Amino acid sequence: MPVLVACFKWVVDEAYIRRTSAGELDLSSVSYKISDYDRNALEEAARLKEAAGGSIAAVTVGIPEATKGVKDALSRGADQAFFVADASFGDIGAPETAGILAEVIRSRIGNFDLILCGEGSSDRYDQQVGIRLAERLGIPCISFVQRIDLEDGRLLAERRLEDGIERVSAPLPAVVTVLPDINVPRIPGVKDTLSASRKPVVTIGREELSGLPEAHFRTVSLTASRLERQCERFGNDGPEISRFVGALRQKGILL
Amino acid sequence: MAGIWIFAEHAGQALELLHAAQSLVDAGMGGELTAFSWPGGPAPDELGAGGADEVLMLPALAEDQPLEAYAPAILVDARQERPDLLLFAATARGKDLAAQIAAGLDAGLCSGCISLHWDKESKTLEMERLLYGGAAVQRIAPLAFPVLAAVPPGTFRAGPGNPGREPRIRHLMPPPASPVAVQERKPRQRLEQDISASKVVVCAGRGFEKREDLALARELADALGGALACTRPLSEEMHWLPEDLCIGLSGIQVKPDVYIGIGVSGQVQHLTGIRGAKVVCAVNRDEQAPIFAAADLGVVGDLYAVLPRLLQALKEAASS
Amino acid sequence: MDFRLTEEQELIRKNMREFAEKYVDPIAAEIDENSRHPVELFRQLAEGDWMGIPIPQEYGGAGADYLTHTVAVEELSRSCSSTGFTVSIHVGIACMLINLFGSEEQKKKFLVPMARGRDLGAFVLTEPGAGTDVMAATTMAVADGNDYVINGTKTFTSNGPTGDTYLVFAWTDKAAGRKGMSTFIVSKETAGMKAGEHFDKMGLRSSQTSEMVFKDCRVPKENLLGKEGNGMAMAMTGFDHGRVGIAAQSVGILQAALDESIKYGKERVQFGTPIARHQAISWMIADMATDLSAARYLTYAAAWLKDQKQPFSKEASMAKLFAAEAAMKHTIKAVQIHGGYGYCKGAKVERLMRDAKITEIYEGTSEAQRMVISGNVLR
Repeated sequence: MPVLVACFKWVVDEAYIRRTSAGELDLSSVSYKISDYDRNALEEAARLKEAAGGSIAAVTVGIPEATKGVKDALSRGADQAFFVADASFGDIGAPETAGILAEVIRSRIGNFDLILCGEGSSDRYDQQVGIRLAERLGIPCISFVQRIDLEDGRLLAERRLEDGIERVSAPLPAVVTVLPDINVPRIPGVKDTLSASRKPVVTIGREELSGLPEAHFRTVSLTASRLERQCERFGNDGPEISRFVGALRQKGILL
Repeated sequence: MAGIWIFAEHAGQALELLHAAQSLVDAGMGGELTAFSWPGGPAPDELGAGGADEVLMLPALAEDQPLEAYAPAILVDARQERPDLLLFAATARGKDLAAQIAAGLDAGLCSGCISLHWDKESKTLEMERLLYGGAAVQRIAPLAFPVLAAVPPGTFRAGPGNPGREPRIRHLMPPPASPVAVQERKPRQRLEQDISASKVVVCAGRGFEKREDLALARELADALGGALACTRPLSEEMHWLPEDLCIGLSGIQVKPDVYIGIGVSGQVQHLTGIRGAKVVCAVNRDEQAPIFAAADLGVVGDLYAVLPRLLQALKEAASS
Repeated sequence: MDFRLTEEQELIRKNMREFAEKYVDPIAAEIDENSRHPVELFRQLAEGDWMGIPIPQEYGGAGADYLTHTVAVEELSRSCSSTGFTVSIHVGIACMLINLFGSEEQKKKFLVPMARGRDLGAFVLTEPGAGTDVMAATTMAVADGNDYVINGTKTFTSNGPTGDTYLVFAWTDKAAGRKGMSTFIVSKETAGMKAGEHFDKMGLRSSQTSEMVFKDCRVPKENLLGKEGNGMAMAMTGFDHGRVGIAAQSVGILQAALDESIKYGKERVQFGTPIARHQAISWMIADMATDLSAARYLTYAAAWLKDQKQPFSKEASMAKLFAAEAAMKHTIKAVQIHGGYGYCKGAKVERLMRDAKITEIYEGTSEAQRMVISGNVLR
């Protein structure tokens, strides 16, 4: 009966990011979502619980408005949630997040078997939190996992790396960071969403934490990415295509 | 200044980072370049020729140890030597190691670092990375050293190097055994060429209706002496091509002389994979497709009509 | 006044949208073209608890409120109005009537499998000679021993060929006028009830519509819903709930029309600029967005009243009237914006326009709605 912990982040849905006419980023009409790969982590926890029993605690660090995200996570199979909330946590970096998660998991959950994280968040894609969290807790982390099996006190995982698959084992407790390939998250049914509100949520304020690490970076600027080039247009008939080939030649492309 | 360390799984990646590090040193950051080697990793003479002043030699690991088991060995030395900057080639293992070492040093790690700049006047290091799936560029400066960066392979180009240069070699102590044990390694069959090395890249997108139609794109790639690649949906969703041909934010970043997107709409996540291309061309029947804004040459038309004409025109150009 | 949906309702809407994009969008054009009822899709809807949202959990439903069901119908209709409509009539009329008027045994026997989505409900009222003029019906139910025997012909029955549980309205005492009709629960296999051929319709083609012919159809007395003579009142209650659903369906159609028009308006270039920048088009889009907003708020307000256990006939009628007419008006504009491409099969707006028309006709024509509203307002 494993005690499972799934970490998730409530992030800006980048599909709703627009640009102003001046080319600046416009986040005024964004909505939020659970970061894509965290959904995979929650789903995997739900599958492990379906197979072996046990319990799932969902943990998140975010702004107080992220209550909808907590309900979303609870509708995806978690039994309870720990919500570390503060207005200053909207822009928090990976080391700070890992530190807070470590403290909350250690003090509020205590004994656990496996912590599941997405391999990176869809807003910043640092790909650091899971590994830093494991370091803080002094337990092993297996990253880029596309398959998990739990055995007695042990974790078997398949990692997908550039040069192939690595099948690894590690003693529990451990952390895994999961790839989106690991599963297809199911869409919560109506009853799943309704029952989420009845599950316990422990909200933890900043003042209850034993201090946050200093930031490692300062932001010099944040701008919309500029990918514009001056596009010379060509039609699609024979003569136009020949002209296109001529342009390629002119740019030194053709041998 | 205390120097720049480089860690990369492959020599080619190490050479890119060494060249980038050399530029920082020359710009005023100063210090020496140190690169890691191990049995099966980049060879010391290659690293030396690439610009490394010193090579740190890690001892062989036991068969069942993952590469990440080196983390404690690297950490022990980093704590002692306190380099300013540690650059990791952002392969999966590289990213994992970088995060472990950053955690151990309580240092910052800039993931997905696409540019490095040393400002002479303010004596600050500035790094750039992409956020929101590529929609935004964040420029950051570390508040303390050491600082780490994980750099996607292909971000920088390798330099001319210094062939024959012999680096100093220092051997590091073996790390303790990692609790993570490798039970089995299943290498992937590398059937396709390495697209990040190719000067010409032809990329197929969702405009292709059937897997069989990719033959047209392949023909174009062959005609231009280039490699065939694809956008994420073609490998991840439709499984028409393997993921090592997938260009994008979470795929491969390429810097070819020419990139031609065929039936590629130009989603931001894909475009970030081709930012460094010299010439970007696009063929798409939707005149408002985002790719045209990021292209130098654009053909508005149905790829099924355009490609045969293009292949014909190339044949004629070759024979003339 | 708090116009916001609850967090649960927002999450449910988001999940319905994701479901629709994943399972409905890929087949919407095909099931319209082939006039096919997608059995597999309704199985998936059942699994997600989408087929009985406002029905209490003890009777197989999700136990949510009517506004939540309304939002789900809207999102579903945005992808395929046939699918949204089928859910609407199944839940909003068939399930709701048994939930409101059924005995404990009837709820256990019929409502539970319906709310779970295993059985599909149908509402059998309209006849060849009795549309808006419901009283002109001729289908009779005569008591005989332990049964009622039903004879007559019904038409335009949605889910006729595909239904499992039919709510059939027939005269038990014609002389009693408005208090003379009764409602019967008739199961699919019942001898003497036969669905006719599915009608080949202009729009809403995936929804199966047919005649229902009753010839000496024996229905046990236990299947009388409520009391004899309550049929007409029940039908009116059914319409109140159903009209909110049709309004939601129309809102979904409107949203889809707006989405398509904005997309096309930004892509299509004429005279050197995207057509959305030409005032003629941008004004069409402005009007579309405004009426969409109005239709949505009217619809949600009607659903909210029902959830507050307030009378909501007038509001349901107003929402249905306004949303249906807006859907028709603006899907025509959406095709106009798309020009020649909008007139061709394969363009979503072509289907939206064909689908919109029926919303002005069924569950009470716009004329019938005006009768209801004026009757209410002029009291």
